Amino acid sequence: MRTQSKLYFYFTLSAVLLVIIAVMALNTGVYDFNGVSPFTVFWQFVKGDQSLSLSDKYVIWDVRAARIVMAVLVGSMLAVSGTSLQGLFKNPLATGESIGLTSGATLLAAIAIVLGGHFREYLPEFVQFSLVGIAAFLGALLAMMLVYRISTSAGKTNVVMMLLSGVAITSIGFSITGFLIYISKDDQLRDLTFWNMGSLAAATWTKNSVLAVVILISYIVLLPKGKALNAMMLGEKDAQHLGINVERLKKQIVVITALMVGTCVAFSGTIGFVGLIVPYILRLLFKSNYTYILPLSAICGSVLLLIADTFSRSIVAPSELPIGILTSLIGGPIFIAILIKFKKSL
Amino acid sequence: MKKFVLVASVLLAVYSCKKEGAKKENTTETSSEAPKSSNKIVSLNGGITEIISALGHEKEIVGTDVTSTYPESLKATAKNLGHVRSITIEPIMAVSPTLILASDKDINPELLNKIKSSGIKAEVFNQEFSVDGTKKLIEQVAKAVGNTDYQKLIDKIDADMKLVQPIAKKPKVLFIYARGNNLMVAGKNTPMEKLIGLAGGENAINDFEDFKPLTPEAVVKANPDVLFFFTSGLQGAGGNDAVLKMPGVSQTNAGKNKKIIAMDGGLVSSFGPRLGEAAVGLNKLLIENTK
Repeated sequence: MRTQSKLYFYFTLSAVLLVIIAVMALNTGVYDFNGVSPFTVFWQFVKGDQSLSLSDKYVIWDVRAARIVMAVLVGSMLAVSGTSLQGLFKNPLATGESIGLTSGATLLAAIAIVLGGHFREYLPEFVQFSLVGIAAFLGALLAMMLVYRISTSAGKTNVVMMLLSGVAITSIGFSITGFLIYISKDDQLRDLTFWNMGSLAAATWTKNSVLAVVILISYIVLLPKGKALNAMMLGEKDAQHLGINVERLKKQIVVITALMVGTCVAFSGTIGFVGLIVPYILRLLFKSNYTYILPLSAICGSVLLLIADTFSRSIVAPSELPIGILTSLIGGPIFIAILIKFKKSL
Repeated sequence: MKKFVLVASVLLAVYSCKKEGAKKENTTETSSEAPKSSNKIVSLNGGITEIISALGHEKEIVGTDVTSTYPESLKATAKNLGHVRSITIEPIMAVSPTLILASDKDINPELLNKIKSSGIKAEVFNQEFSVDGTKKLIEQVAKAVGNTDYQKLIDKIDADMKLVQPIAKKPKVLFIYARGNNLMVAGKNTPMEKLIGLAGGENAINDFEDFKPLTPEAVVKANPDVLFFFTSGLQGAGGNDAVLKMPGVSQTNAGKNKKIIAMDGGLVSSFGPRLGEAAVGLNKLLIENTK
């Protein structure tokens, strides 16, 4: 019971923090609502005030609010996918990027961007619309399956093998993406490079609703898995003895993280290191207790990405910095810190 | 007494309401009396910006992209929103435009979606890099900004184009787009290929379309007579001496004879009202350098 209330305490604390940051983010931006505060405009929008001008309405709801919600959803998914992978591989270095998921998703999405024009018309209309998204998911899933196959033998995952195969997949992904960059036109090239560093500028409510469906399905399956992941820390055999269906758990995590990373890459490009930083910080507070860090990473990921996005669109206004630059800037040093801390166990 | 105060205050309230209402009406009237043509325009293409300005609507431009470098005076009156590929919607909305104009060649599809859903009037023109294409663009832009007096711009292009002198032996021109260490050469179907053609030259590379990274072998194989740069690009690449040392360049006719020319990037690449000027300018440089 005590642990439960501790969880609630931290969860509430993070939720309050998230709300405060969201409110600040709503207030940040280059658009000027004729001197009226964005909160007032937002409140007018919520009340359905008819006197609100179309532009004001559009900026507050379809631009800022949509972007804030996308940051919350994407940040949460990236962090949870990182945490689940670390539980699955029993290693703090496993994230979407380090094991090649992001690279796989990026590769297939890049193929869809550059070469999509050649085969788009032969596909059914529904697929055409979300071609890049579907490609990204398939890329993440393929990479995940490959890494898992290579690094697991007789039910045991070799961590070094996992990270090395991640490196290999990432380099294959980069080289083919590099080739695509070479053959792409100037405009596609700019899309690719910007998209490689991630951005939430293209947020819309349609995308947010797709993300919301994905997050809902994923979290219903993943978030109650804290105890199972804790048991996995003891080793797969012991977990099995504790009554956990290890194979099923592994498959679920593999498919769901691929789904989450793939959708995030498809909608917002590559945003690095969120899946690494958040679980790391939580681990400092709660050790590797997944009943805490799994639900908490869902909310702390949102906090982190929302802060990063608000900075990205305000520090070089009216232009904006690709968000991946910011997250990687914070993530790099933390990655080194993890390496040093786990020096002996690697 | 109480009654009197009550009546007085009600009267006062009614009066002040009336006054305010009257004031409001007044302000709306004045705003509707303003000239119809006064748009607030965001132009996301250098050529389109030039057309708007040449038509006399420069004052209406409130925001531009990074390629809109001409006329110079725009810098003071319009906000530079950055490169059209990385512009986001909020900075555009922040200058509260009533009209957004762009070219289909370079607008980012995500941004286009956002512009469409913003409800602001927007037009995206199909830009063809030719004399006829430019005339068509002038006509379309003029219509969009509500101006019918565009024939003079078209006549100017025709008049300028007549000044282009034929060159007996067409020089092979290689356009090098230098951006820092990144050197790209212009292949087929680039604005530069079209302009070189209009100026009486021949594009040195016909093997591929668009811009490709410069490789020594490709340069040697193309064997251009003249190397062509943007003025800013030539500076960025380190000037003539540095260009002559670029891999492959010394093996070409252009390298051997040190024929390197440069023109203002905005002038030669925008395909706007100054297209004729650009073609004549390049034509002169080509004649001088092929004697």
